[in-house]
This record gives sequence, structure tokens and C-alpha cells, in this order.
Amino acid sequence: MKKNYVIEAENLSKIYAGVVPVKAVDEVNLQIQDNEFTAIVGPSGSGKSTLLNMIGGLDRPTSGTIKVNDILLNGMTDNQLINFRLHHIGFVFQSFNLIPVLTAKENAEFIMLLQKVPLQQREKRVMSLLKEVGLDDKLDSRPSQLSGGQQQRVAVARALASKPDFVLADEPTANLDSKSAFNLLDIMARLNQEEGITFIFSTHDQRVIDRARRVITLEDGKIVSDEIR
Amino acid sequence: MPCGVKMIGKIAWKNIWRNKVRSAVVIIAIAIGLWAGMFASAFVVGMMNQKIDSVINLELSHFQVHHPSFQDEMLPKFVIPNSEEIIQKMNNNEAIKNTSPRVVAMPMINSANYSGMLKVTGIDPENEKRVTDLHEFVLEGKYFEGIKRNPILLSKKTAEKYKIKIRSKVVLTLQDKQGEITAGAFRVVGIYDSKNGMYDEMNAFVLAPDLQKLLDINHDVHEIAVLLNEHDLAESVATQYQEEFPNLEIKSWMDLASGMRFMVEAMDVYTFFIVGIILVALLFSIINTMLMAVLERVREIGMLMAVGMSKLRVFKMIMLETLFLCLIGGPLGLLLAWICIQYFGRYGIDLGGASYSDYGFTNLVYTQLDMMSYISVTLMVLGMAILAAIYPAVKAINLIPVEAIRKI
Ligand SMILES: Nc1ncnc2c1ncn2[C@@H]1O[C@H](COP(=O)(O)OP(=O)(O)O)[C@@H](O)[C@H]1O
Ligand SMILES: [Mg+2]
Repeated sequence: MKKNYVIEAENLSKIYAGVVPVKAVDEVNLQIQDNEFTAIVGPSGSGKSTLLNMIGGLDRPTSGTIKVNDILLNGMTDNQLINFRLHHIGFVFQSFNLIPVLTAKENAEFIMLLQKVPLQQREKRVMSLLKEVGLDDKLDSRPSQLSGGQQQRVAVARALASKPDFVLADEPTANLDSKSAFNLLDIMARLNQEEGITFIFSTHDQRVIDRARRVITLEDGKIVSDEIR
Repeated sequence: MPCGVKMIGKIAWKNIWRNKVRSAVVIIAIAIGLWAGMFASAFVVGMMNQKIDSVINLELSHFQVHHPSFQDEMLPKFVIPNSEEIIQKMNNNEAIKNTSPRVVAMPMINSANYSGMLKVTGIDPENEKRVTDLHEFVLEGKYFEGIKRNPILLSKKTAEKYKIKIRSKVVLTLQDKQGEITAGAFRVVGIYDSKNGMYDEMNAFVLAPDLQKLLDINHDVHEIAVLLNEHDLAESVATQYQEEFPNLEIKSWMDLASGMRFMVEAMDVYTFFIVGIILVALLFSIINTMLMAVLERVREIGMLMAVGMSKLRVFKMIMLETLFLCLIGGPLGLLLAWICIQYFGRYGIDLGGASYSDYGFTNLVYTQLDMMSYISVTLMVLGMAILAAIYPAVKAINLIPVEAIRKI
């Protein structure tokens, strides 16, 4: 019987046209199962962001297919992709994750508002999420009043608020000092273990890599190693 | 209200205050632009309405009846043949407030010092009061009171020009009905000043029987000025009498005063024109400002679309930001304009110098703007706001999230 994957990429390639075409992602085959805590690693320019963007339905592959829980992303229109991202994927970016004019609580709530989740459910969920990321005392702070680490924690809370199939985090710790980076990783790891949230994150920070349970290494757009620890 | 709209409205509202100075500049520009446009309109409308007022209440009334040749030649013989019949008919017409039959001549006037030409109108003083405001403008002496024989009412301008005082004697020399030269001595009973320089320079008034005797035309008259109860009926009532009396010339004030028709018609579109130009200028500066606001937030808008905010919602958000700016600036400008127009509508704007009055305008202009103009300006602002809002919003939704995010 065929095993069900959360993410299933087949022969995935992304070629940037130009004077010298760049194969940012080169014939990648990749399966991610539920409840994984996976790091995509590799030097800068190895194709980590491009791969994550295609998995997250933000970018379209030049060739190959991506399925999320058996739903094929390839043929979707822009609007279908936006809607798919809203309901199936949580995102944490390196920076500029939050809406500057909203408070931490409102930022975390934002996705649920887009999803039209009723007020009472929203309230309950946003409070428990902010508590889990340790920010229940910063509900009414604006992003500018929070540290970089706190902002990323709000972003994690926001990503989880939509009850996504998985969370994609592209270099979430790149702008953080090591203490904040470990703190964020701790929170992510705990959410993975206790709540079964699937995380896929990219990084080139060795100390962050050490926390992952599966490490996929990219080089020039190709997977050169894939180890489960 | 769906929670989505409320949230988008809230974010849009907060977004416009991120750059307070820039938003304030846009709001103030809209307010001042509107204020200036509307105030300028109200000034012109007020000035023109005062001119029309003066034309109707002093110079021409609503329409006038003449012998068809009189306007061209002004000879004493061109009297209205059946004036009594016409006046009788008009007095029975509900639409007509009053009529003033007049005798008109263009004599030479001689004072002790100077001589020149004037238009002298022979009137029935009591009847004239019910048609024109002449009696209200008498500065010195009395309105045909105190001098029994051949009284004459002159303007301040004429009195100064001819160096004439109250009770001074002037001699009018003219041709009578048969073409004989004849003259009469008149004594100044009063001096008026209508503030309408062009009119004042030309016009003097005597009693109708005095002039009729000089001209040798019995009880005949040259002109019947007619005042209506309703301003807007001037054209139709004039036409109606013209059809009834084809042998006479019956013209409304708009046709009697040269350029009046054009002025009245231009006035109808003036507000749209000037406010329109200002709004177009504002349109481009608002689009420019909002484009800046969008371009500054490329990464943020890209992030919003990346995490699942639909293009429609992004579009609404940016539209709302522009609309909010316009909806603060617009009413502010309207209010400002309204206050100024009310104030100067009451106390007037003093233009100082006399140059305007030489063209028949008054020196004290009372600003004036009707309700319809306020309503149409409001609609124009709304239209402008929506137009201004569309382009930046289109720009925002055309962002490609993955490219916007790359910049992070
Ligand atoms: N929009 C683009 N146009 C052209 N080349 C690009 C574009 N985005 C990324 N690349 C190239 O693709 C390769 C992979 O980039 P990226 O996925 O960002 O790598 P990483 O995230 O591992 O640093 C790099 O060589 C980069 O220069
Ligand atoms: Mg990258």
C-alpha cells in the first residue's frame, strides 16, 4: 500500500532563466511525513529558499510535481494557491513576519480572521498559542516593542493559529542571537513533540542543525545527503 | 459585518497613520484644494448673482416692452401704441408683480460748468418703487419730494462730474416728437448711488409727465418694465407676450443685457470646472503618495499574500487607505468652505478699488453657493477618491509574493 506523505515532491526543478540559466533546484525527490522535524541545510545559494517556496506554494517549479496531503499544487491558479496557503501551510520568514500596526495578539489572530474563525474560538486559541510561545504577557505589544526573538515567536504562534498541515520556516533564526535562536528552536521542538506539528526549516547554523531529527543537505540544488537521527 | 472587512478596515486605518506627516499633507491638500475651489466658485457665483440682481432690480426688471425700432434709434416718436391695453392685461396676470411704464429720452444736459449726454427716464415715482430699488439708493435730498416743478434725480457720479448740488439747476435739451429742438430747466431733487458705476454714469430720472410734455407725446410711453413674482419665468412670460403682441419688441433681461445669457450659462458649469481642475490635480498627487506608500511596504504586502491574504482583501485594504485619506480631507474642505462662504456671504468681501463697479459689478461681494453645488462637489470628491484609490491598489495586488519575500 502507498504511504501517505504530508509533502511529496517528484523530480522537482527550478531553473532561473538568464544569460547564464541557474538551476536553483535540480531534480529533487523528497517526501516528508507527518510529525517530522526536518532541517534543510546547505550553504548560501544552494537552493534552500527556492525549495521551501515551491513546497509552500509560493513559487512554481519549472518541472516536477508537488503534492501536499495528496493535493497537487502544480495546476492551481494564484488565487487558489493563496487560499491553499491560508488553510494548509504556516509560514515563518526570516524577518518582516508581522503587521507593524497590529499588536502581538492581533497578529497571531490575523490568520484566523482571514479564515473566518468565530470570535470565541479565535480568542481561546490565540491566548493558548501566545502562552505556549511564552508571550502571554506581551499581548498588547506592537512588533516594534518586541525583541527579534519575541517577534519570531509571535510569527510561530501566527503560523500555528491556522492549524496548518505543516509549518515552513526559512532561516527563522538567521537574525537572532544564539540565546534567542535556541529559545525559538526549543519552542518549535516542544510543539513538534507535544502537539505533533510538522516543521520544515532551513538553516545554515550548525547549532540549529543539531536540534533537527532529520537533516536534508542541499548542494547546488541537489540533495546530497538525507539523514535521520 | 463580516470580520474580514472590519479587520481590513482597522489595518487600513492604522496604516494611514504610520506616516503621519505624509497623510496629514494629503489630507490638508485635499481640504485646502476643495476649500479654494469652492470658495472661488462661491465668490464668482455671488458676484454674478449680485450683478443679475442689480440687472433685474435696477436696470432691466424681468422683461421690457418697446416699440420695435426704439432700441435702435431711441426717437421720441417710437412710442408703444397700445400701452394702456397692455398694462391692463399685465396687471391681471398672476405671474406679474408690477409694471412700470416709462418715458425715455437721450438729451444733452447742461450745468453751469459742463455739458454732456445722459439717458433720462420719466417715471411715476410711486409706481417705480414697486418695480426697481432706485428709491433705496438716494443719498442726498429726497426721492422726488420737495421740489414741485421739474424735479430731476441724478447719480452721485453725474453730480460730481457736472459739479451739481441739490437744488442746482440743469437744462435738458432734446428733440421732440416732430424733431424740433426744445429745452427744459430741471432742479436736482436728489442724488443717488447704486454702486453700479456703469449704470450711475448714464442714468437720470424725472417725472414722466414733465418729459412727455417736453417731447410732445401726450400720455404715451416708450418702455414698460415688468417685474415678475418668479425669477425663472422671465423667458417664458416674455415669449408669451411677444406672441400676443407681435408688433412690439418684448425681450427678457437675458436678451436685453449683452453677455448676460452667456454669464448665466457659464455660471452653471463654473463650479464643476474649477473644482474639477483642482480634483484632477489632487488625483495625481494622491495616486503618487499612495504608490509611495505601497512601494515602501512591498515586503509587508508580499508577506500578507504569502500567508494567505487574498488579492481582493489586499486590494480592499489599499483602496480603503486612500479612501480614508479622501474621506477625512474631503469633509474637512467642505466644512471649511461652508464656514467661509457663510461668513463672507453675510459680511461680504470688500474688493476696495472701484474698477469692478465700472463694469457693473459691486465692490462688496457676498459669497454664495447653493446646496446642489455642495452635493455635486461631494459626489465629485467621492468619484475622485475612488479613482485615486484604484491604481495603487492594482499595483499592490500585482506584486509577486515570492519576489517581495526574497527581499527579506
Ligand atoms: N529570482 C531569482 N532570479 C535568478 N536567480 C535566482 C532568483 N532567486 C534565487 N536565485 C538563485 O538561485 C540559487 C538558489 O537561491 P536560494 O534558493 O535563495 O538559495 P539559499 O536559500 O539556499 O541561499 C542562487 O544561486 C540564487 O542566486
Ligand atoms: Mg535562502
